[in-house]
Amino acid sequence: MDSLGQFEQIVLTAILALDDNAYGVTIHAKVEELSRPKKAARGAVYATLDRMEDKGLISSWLSEPTKERGGRSRRHYRIEKSGEKALRESARTAQRLIETIAQTLGGLAWKPR
Amino acid sequence: MEAALNTPPEWLERIVLSAIPPAAREAVAGDLWETYQSPHQYAVEALCTVPLVVLSQMRRNLNPLVLMLQGTMIFLGLGGAATLIFLPLLMLRDAYQPVTRPTPRNCIREAILLSSGAMILLLLIMSIHSPFPVRSGVDSFTWLSLFLAALFLSPFLCLFRAGLIMQGDRCQKLAGHDMSREALTKVYDSFQRGAFCRNMLEGVALAFAAATGFFFAWNTLLVGLFALMAVYLLVDTRPRASVAGDFTSVRAEYQRDLARQEQLRRFLRWLWFAPVLVALHARLAGAAIDSVPPLLNCVAVAILCFLVTALNREHGGRVREEIDQLDRIHEAQSSDC
Repeated sequence: MDSLGQFEQIVLTAILALDDNAYGVTIHAKVEELSRPKKAARGAVYATLDRMEDKGLISSWLSEPTKERGGRSRRHYRIEKSGEKALRESARTAQRLIETIAQTLGGLAWKPR
Repeated sequence: MEAALNTPPEWLERIVLSAIPPAAREAVAGDLWETYQSPHQYAVEALCTVPLVVLSQMRRNLNPLVLMLQGTMIFLGLGGAATLIFLPLLMLRDAYQPVTRPTPRNCIREAILLSSGAMILLLLIMSIHSPFPVRSGVDSFTWLSLFLAALFLSPFLCLFRAGLIMQGDRCQKLAGHDMSREALTKVYDSFQRGAFCRNMLEGVALAFAAATGFFFAWNTLLVGLFALMAVYLLVDTRPRASVAGDFTSVRAEYQRDLARQEQLRRFLRWLWFAPVLVALHARLAGAAIDSVPPLLNCVAVAILCFLVTALNREHGGRVREEIDQLDRIHEAQSSDC
């Protein structure tokens, strides 16, 4: 199984957090929120979604067209089992990093923001 | 009135829509519309988003084997500079593949344009005698025959194209907007069985062609390519177990498999025609430019490329239509189907 890049982790987490409401606009907003203070380009989010879909980490489908989108459908995304597994693995690695950093910088009362 | 003010200007939207690759158009254009604030914001957002979407679609539709084969043919025919120009253009064209089959009107128009082009080429060469001195003992009767042959090319190409369109129309389509997981799995299993049989048969045929080519001393590169593809098809192709998971997972797997198989078929169609194209190129390289054979070879190459492209566009369009249709179906209860 390929390990996830940092941006992939953020996008996957955004999809996970949004649950049934994960589509382009909401995913981009959530990604911006998660990657603060960095800005995330919407195009980069689309490219990452495409790449992860090709890897089988997520799946997508089109909803019914809506008026507020000019009669166009939303492309909804959902995490697949392999995506969940990859995200758990990344979270475990991040956890180990946090623990190590906290141990090393403990005296400085370091805590992740 | 309020709603009308909060929508992008029609002209701007049309430009943005034409810039977004068709496969991503619906979702990306809808997202841009949903976050619309002002024409300036919309234009800036589109300018920042669309190039990355185009690059992503180029990557998604990239078929390295087909591109390599096409690159080799362009290199052999037109040289290195042309290859450097044409390859990115081919990749860009792949990014803008339509999600539906080409319209019959466009197909017939292309067929007529190609045959008309061939006729005009022949007419030009017939009329300009001084810069193209006819050696090789070609008389007016031969020229007339060539012209008539080109004249008949048009209905032939149109018929071929119409046949492909009709065959595509006859193909079974997915049963409407609602489908149960069981019904979808059944359709997917049947597709997998079909793909397995087709790949096995084609693998055996390629192995046979490679062996024949080896004995008759064909182009070594082509024989190697045939043998490699035969091994790939025979080793890689195996019947898979049914996909576990819910409706969405089965659909995603089916869509990926459809796209994968179509990429493979696209390459194989070019590969089957490659020996003829290479042979024509070899003849073209050995003949004098002002004699009839190279001219006929050029026409033959154009027709062959038309046939392969037509096959790829028709079948590829059908697969993309099916993928798009799968995107839009909803899960129904199993008793529905």
